[in-house]
Amino acid sequence: MGDLLANLLNPYNLQLVMLIAINCLLGLSVWVPLSAGQLSLGGAGFMSVGAYTAALLTLQAGWSMPAAILAGAALAAALALLLGYPTLRLQGVYLAIATLAFGEMVRILALNLRITNGALGLAGIPQMVDEVSWYLWDHTSLGSGQGPLDPHTAGSLIILGVLYVLLAAAVYALLRQAGSRVGRALRAIQADELAARAMGIDTRYYKLLVFTQSGFLAGLAGGLYAHLYYFIGPGDFGFTRAIEMLLYVVLGGMQTLWGTLVGASALTLLPEVLRFSASYRLMIYGGVLVALMIFRPEGLISAALVDALSWRRRRPARALPPGEGAA
Amino acid sequence: MRVLLMGGRAVALLLVLAVAGSLAGWGPEAAYAQSAVWRFGAVLVLSGDGAAYGNSQREGLELARDTINEAGGIHGMPVEIIFEDSRGERTDAVNAVLKLINRDRVLAIIGPTYSPEMFAAGPAADRARVTIMGISTTAVGIGEIGPYVFRNSLPEEGVIPTTIRVSKEKLGYETAALLYSNNNDFTKSAAETFERELRANGVDILTIETFHDGDTDFRAQLTKVLSVNPDVLVVSALYKEAALLLQQARQLGLNQPVVGGNGFNSPELYRLAGEAAEGAIVGSPWFPGRDHPLVKEFVAKYQARYGRVPDQFAAQAYDGLMLFAEAARRTGKPTDRQAFRDALAEIRNFEGVTGVFSFDEHGNPMMDATILQLRGGEYVEFK
Amino acid sequence: MARRGHAGAAPRPLETGAHAATVWLQQLINGVSLGATYSLVALGYTLVFGTLGIINMAHGEIFMFGAFFGLLLVETGLLSSVGMLAAAAGGAAVMGLLLEYIALRPLRRRQGGHLTPLISTIGVSIFLRSLALQLFGPESQSFPAALKGGSFRLGGTVVTQVDAVILTAALGLMLGLWLLLGRTKLGKAMRATAENQTTAALLGVNTEAIIALTVMLAAALGGVAGALVGLSFAVSPSMGLPYGLKGLSIIVLGGMGNVVGAMVGGLLLGFAEVVTVQLFSSSWRDMAAFALLFLLLVVKPEGLFGRAHQAGGKV
Repeated sequence: MGDLLANLLNPYNLQLVMLIAINCLLGLSVWVPLSAGQLSLGGAGFMSVGAYTAALLTLQAGWSMPAAILAGAALAAALALLLGYPTLRLQGVYLAIATLAFGEMVRILALNLRITNGALGLAGIPQMVDEVSWYLWDHTSLGSGQGPLDPHTAGSLIILGVLYVLLAAAVYALLRQAGSRVGRALRAIQADELAARAMGIDTRYYKLLVFTQSGFLAGLAGGLYAHLYYFIGPGDFGFTRAIEMLLYVVLGGMQTLWGTLVGASALTLLPEVLRFSASYRLMIYGGVLVALMIFRPEGLISAALVDALSWRRRRPARALPPGEGAA
Repeated sequence: MRVLLMGGRAVALLLVLAVAGSLAGWGPEAAYAQSAVWRFGAVLVLSGDGAAYGNSQREGLELARDTINEAGGIHGMPVEIIFEDSRGERTDAVNAVLKLINRDRVLAIIGPTYSPEMFAAGPAADRARVTIMGISTTAVGIGEIGPYVFRNSLPEEGVIPTTIRVSKEKLGYETAALLYSNNNDFTKSAAETFERELRANGVDILTIETFHDGDTDFRAQLTKVLSVNPDVLVVSALYKEAALLLQQARQLGLNQPVVGGNGFNSPELYRLAGEAAEGAIVGSPWFPGRDHPLVKEFVAKYQARYGRVPDQFAAQAYDGLMLFAEAARRTGKPTDRQAFRDALAEIRNFEGVTGVFSFDEHGNPMMDATILQLRGGEYVEFK
Repeated sequence: MARRGHAGAAPRPLETGAHAATVWLQQLINGVSLGATYSLVALGYTLVFGTLGIINMAHGEIFMFGAFFGLLLVETGLLSSVGMLAAAAGGAAVMGLLLEYIALRPLRRRQGGHLTPLISTIGVSIFLRSLALQLFGPESQSFPAALKGGSFRLGGTVVTQVDAVILTAALGLMLGLWLLLGRTKLGKAMRATAENQTTAALLGVNTEAIIALTVMLAAALGGVAGALVGLSFAVSPSMGLPYGLKGLSIIVLGGMGNVVGAMVGGLLLGFAEVVTVQLFSSSWRDMAAFALLFLLLVVKPEGLFGRAHQAGGKV
């Protein structure tokens, strides 16, 4: 039994589960604006802002990790608000491309600025698990090998817990929001922006709100990512990352936030599961994307599925699922 | 509706498969291999844009493995290598390293291919106290990551000073234009070293132009270089970009001599650029034409098996496994990771195909570079 | 110091400094040739967007396969540039047809929303890129020099024959497309399908056939673009990547679905990049493209040549 536990808790598995939490946050940052009908592909840019800010604060200004990560997320949120203003009147594909252009501009800035160290990136960023396990090593009995776990596994579990608490907090807040006045307004905007405005909904306010939330989540994920992988560089936050984040949402199903969580988890595990297929890995990955869109365009988890699975039967009424009602 | 249901079922099946697949991996795995085998892991870029490098490395490793095993293995036990693909992605590299350490229980790891991957994967291996050795990582500060992190690839700052000193002596240039790819850590760090060394040698840098990996049209930058007309072009780029850049430079009438970074160090450069690469000068830890029995044997075997001259990636990979084999020979214990690390760190004056190795106190190699010139499609010593 | 002569009898360098005008003239030529390649890629991109309202993320990979089709034909020993282009166009058109049948048509049947074709074409592009890696290997390859032709001098500047061909092809194809869309019955059917598929079908247009034809045509254009760009530079499985994002910028600059806009947008982007390099610094070259794109979207979202009511569409 002890062996089984130790095997389950090996660093490879733990690392994957931590990465899932970060990718879920990234997925949510795309889902939030999408729940109001706004497709933003600027997430990679915000993630980059969060990651660089947090990493520079811990590396060079000596901030503590939680403060630095929060500051990174806050700066990303502020930037998202700033980006939101000029792009308010853009719709659909145009908004997507404008935000994509923003993301690329951030990447090129990171490549050219001295403080971000260009393509060489920032190395030697303090790592969350290391910090906690060193603390455990020095201050608890685990260090002398007397606990049930070694300090490193215990540290990983603590960080794992922190990541999932953060994720749970984000999910809880977004669920609360979806069930409130704000959520109804967002669904109205998603269904028909003009009609929503005619009904007296301040669409500008709500669109800026989801933008800011999206920036915060992506920035948070960026800061966490930086402090999990020791190193960040401009290449981490490019076009590919933006697309990957979108895939989490669309593949998982964008009608509910659960779909995003499932999509992010599945797509994080998929390349690992496909490791055996070596060089055919990406071909299979591409094929799976096409097949899913053909056989299940609403994503893995649809609103109907969530309703069927939920034990509390309630409000069958739901706004139009995204994508219906063409322009 | 039927189709929809079938679709639903297909997806469900897929999910079940995925979950089953990952659960299978989560179960208990064999404890340390009791069996008599030297099990190493290799994390290389085997798919995506960098696959060319990873494939060369894989070939070099496989050749080394088979050479060792045909000679009876190490202490009578054969060498096994488990290859993992990192796609050049940092997260994948870390995952692969952790998988090799925790699931496959390898003794030590070779790779990853790129320096940024090593900056993420190196600490992970170091924390697990498993030796990891880069065979193509040339950035500053790799060996300094930790006591379990090594490399046998000569960092660029060990090659470029010689390249500049020797080429300036022979060509007598006084002004230069520096061109480099600035979204690649490897070419950028080399460019910084070039800039420093050029200035240290009293060369006036008239202009510095950058581009990106994957760019194809360099004429805007080259026209700007044309207007300042330097004595020499110094280029730090991977061979794909370097080949196109040289062709376009010659086309525009820039006929100056060219000094290149490590990316020039590939037979692919001449194949792509042809005549435009003639005369290019590059410093290299690897010289296939070196008159040494080890080198001749390696080149002959490699050519017989893969049909081409080994590049530096293959050569450094080959030496990498040979270094591991030497450490293994000294310990004789295929499951003792600590003894392996200590034995590797002790290695001095090891004869490899790329030269004579010793590790400094950080696990970086100390060895000499040769200055080469492309002449008639062949690299010859630049004299 | 001794200057080595260089085989291929390249022209002498421009005179230093004295002829700033010559440098600018050369940069103008660089801008046009760069822009022409962009335009060529954007034509097919914008055609699919104009008709189907979707961004075909696999266009860059079809472009790449076009180059390989051309290269494969040439490697059989048939050194004909017309044959090479025909092979590229034909091969790419077949791929376009497959794309339509496998990844686009089933989605239209299922009414899955506007993001599904985006994702499914992303899937196709990932698949095709790794397929190409398997088939052709990761190394760059180049067309035989005999096919490229040389270069000639024009008022102190250097122009390559390939560039001249690319510019001519881009202009010719743009004109052809423009005529096809504006002056023929087929074009009318395409425009009707683009405007409203249901209405067009009611009016007797075989919209499914029109769409398939449009996707094939766009793919063929992409294939020709790939072969020409490959001829000018090099062919490799990743060659489509930089053009994908740039192409997207261009069709937005020019107005989505606008053929003339794609041409002008491409040239504009080419110039913007060259001017950034010459006046400022080459490390900001790509910044110019995206900043231009962002500013234009904020100021005039429908693009330079787009009509206001086309703006956006729903997600």
